[in-house]
Amino acid sequence: MSKDANNPGAGGNRRTLSFKRLQQASILILLAVLCAFASFRSPTFFSWTNLVDNLLTNAAALGIIAVGMTFVMIAGGFDLSVASNTAVCSVVLVLTMDSLSSYGAVVAISAALLLTTLVGISLGAINGVLIARVGVNPFVVTLSTMLVFRGIALILTRGGQAKQVADIALRNKFNWIYDAQIPIFGQSYQISMPIVIFLLVFGIGTYLLRFTRFGHYIFAIGGNEEAAWLAGVNTHRIKMISYMLCGLTCAIAAAIFLAMTATAQAESHMGKELDVIASVIVGGTPLGGGSGGLTATLTGVLLLRVIDNLLTQFSVGAEYRKVVTGLIIVIVVTVDVLAKGRSRK
Amino acid sequence: MSLNYCEILRMQNIVKEFSGTRVLDEVDFDVRGGEVHAIIGENGAGKSTLMNVLAGRFDDYRGSIRFDGRDVRICNPRQARDMGIAIIYQELNVLPNFTVAENIMLGDEKAMRWIRKMDRTSISDEASKAIKYLRFDLDPDEPLSRLSKARQCLVEIAGAVRRNVKLLVFDEPTASLGSEDIDKLFQVIKDLRNKGLAIVYISHRLGELPRIADRVTVLRDGKAVGTKSISECEISDLTRMMLGHDLGEIFPEKKNRPGKTILKVNALSSPGVFENISFELRAGEILGIAGLVGSGRTEIVRAIFGADKASGKVEFRGKPIPVRSPNLCCSLGIGMVPENRKLEGNITGRPVCENLNISILERLSGAFGFQSPRRLASRAQCMIERMSVDPPDLKMEIQSLSGGNQQKVIVGRWLAADSNVIIFDEPTQGIDVGTKAQMYRLIMDLACEGKAIILISSELIEISKLADRILIIRNGRLVREMPETETDEDELFAECARKDKG
Repeated sequence: MSKDANNPGAGGNRRTLSFKRLQQASILILLAVLCAFASFRSPTFFSWTNLVDNLLTNAAALGIIAVGMTFVMIAGGFDLSVASNTAVCSVVLVLTMDSLSSYGAVVAISAALLLTTLVGISLGAINGVLIARVGVNPFVVTLSTMLVFRGIALILTRGGQAKQVADIALRNKFNWIYDAQIPIFGQSYQISMPIVIFLLVFGIGTYLLRFTRFGHYIFAIGGNEEAAWLAGVNTHRIKMISYMLCGLTCAIAAAIFLAMTATAQAESHMGKELDVIASVIVGGTPLGGGSGGLTATLTGVLLLRVIDNLLTQFSVGAEYRKVVTGLIIVIVVTVDVLAKGRSRK
Repeated sequence: MSLNYCEILRMQNIVKEFSGTRVLDEVDFDVRGGEVHAIIGENGAGKSTLMNVLAGRFDDYRGSIRFDGRDVRICNPRQARDMGIAIIYQELNVLPNFTVAENIMLGDEKAMRWIRKMDRTSISDEASKAIKYLRFDLDPDEPLSRLSKARQCLVEIAGAVRRNVKLLVFDEPTASLGSEDIDKLFQVIKDLRNKGLAIVYISHRLGELPRIADRVTVLRDGKAVGTKSISECEISDLTRMMLGHDLGEIFPEKKNRPGKTILKVNALSSPGVFENISFELRAGEILGIAGLVGSGRTEIVRAIFGADKASGKVEFRGKPIPVRSPNLCCSLGIGMVPENRKLEGNITGRPVCENLNISILERLSGAFGFQSPRRLASRAQCMIERMSVDPPDLKMEIQSLSGGNQQKVIVGRWLAADSNVIIFDEPTQGIDVGTKAQMYRLIMDLACEGKAIILISSELIEISKLADRILIIRNGRLVREMPETETDEDELFAECARKDKG
């Protein structure tokens, strides 16, 4: 048929595409400018201790959940229950380790990790069943499961007592997940275990998303679920798996959090689900899905962490940090809306 | 045509109900390989539902289906697709974020054994093979969002043919195509037919059938009223079968008298959508706007109504009005019956009474925004009687009315608001013939009362029978103004679908 795109929409789409790249670029530039500004004002910013030990290690656990969240959100979904899921997982970790401590550290830790993984995936699967099979709106489902999971964590800790593994030797062994340092350039340049785990999860996630059929279908569902369904794609299963993956990342993050703080609290990580969703959105995966990716999410996670780190360095109060973070999210998303030309009065 | 091909599909006594309403009533239908079998019928006659049964969208239809020599029951899209059925919908089911090749291969990607890596080279290789086999002019690596609608349609065809389809269904493929693209599409369909495929072609445009179809089945109100070979029937026979009676009885006599200019549009433009649109509208006049879907006709009236941004001037009763918001237009006395009743018209879940009064609440509110329920109800009652909404129940939620009655409520909303200019965008979409006739009479009555009417419709016959003047919109430009009624449907369509010079 005629090669000239007759409909006026075609030109518009090309414009959108280049704007899309502009938005991605603008985040990277913003990140670079912030880093440059930071190193100028604070000599310690570019130190290994600050960048790797502080910034990246702290970002790792939430970054891991953001990887899972990216799958859910590219497929057009949403998960508000991640923080509650993480809380349940860390409580389950402590409880299993405690009850199995007499069998020795190896058995206790591996059994606890295995069970927690299953719990994380199962809680994700509950979301998945309600959203993918039954067809309830993801916001409603995960808002409810957010409350339910949090309640479960409270019940397991008998009303929110802080739980610690009683056996100190076992506890210290478990803390290896957080404390271990892997030397890369001699003893002075080491990276911590959480970063290694994050890179592993990120790598596997990228492989799944970019190079497998599963990842291909995640994008297909976000682009046009009906079309994917009619093309014979098992959209239910793919969506289901995306929520289970997200649950799995919660379990992994729970292990890191527990190793970091040594205590499991039912009321920990409250509100962190919004931080995770924010970094995914700021990175460039839109609500509604269809585009985006893990590199985008990584830039989103880094941007929010760098801002937080910067403000901490200048000893700006937590209240102002919230204001700034909120503004950044609004600005980035506004740029996206304007770029897509959806601004209608 | 070719009798040596055997029967591919036979559907018998197909019944499908939606919450108690029978949409398909014991329909029989069959297609042979190497044949184009057209299905025609009014909106809402059941054409799409019948094809959705084939597509596997419903698992609760009744009746028997025999496909390719076997008795089957089609419960999901995967099954339909594996059997060799493909449907090209009017709203194309494509992934805008994927490339041409990825769209063609969707659902059949191959993955390596152990590491599950998806084989991208085989995707573009096999897609290229399909494109070459069909001799389409497509680049496998181009993102789909950059293609025109006609070319996206080719992508869907290529995807279906690659999967060795035996039956290909086209659901009103020409609704948004220009005439040149239609010619090419017909050539493609004929090529596919000559390769032995069975093709079902759904349309409500009778004029194109002799060019493309071998046999025609007419649906009316969910029933198959007859199947004929195209060579042995006249278009007028088909019209009568489709409508149930002659055309002449449906349209009212023209007796409105256009008066003074009430609305003047000057150089209205929206970059990339429409450009330099100028026209005048007189009181008591019905102005038809004809154009293909996607030509910009809807966007133009939306801009006049203030729903979309545009540059240019609009004068109402000689005074310039800022094209800013529907709220303002509403208070001036301009109303619009929007194209998509479900999404843009109905306030779903609220009763008829509220739906009728929504545009006048601002005018009627007393101190502290108080709304007198009794006054609102009496006004709505008045309107329901005038519009003969059936059932005449103010408390019923609007979505539980039939499509035609929902439309009457939406029109009533603007009558209640005493609008002097009313824009009708596809007012008869998806409503039955009887209500259509009422709607035509209503539009004519309004014009006789001195209201100015803008009428947009894909059913060009409506425009040719009702309008006093017709504006032809092509690719966002006002290309011609046709005075008086001496144009017929086919002439109008040719004008709309003609290719621009240069």
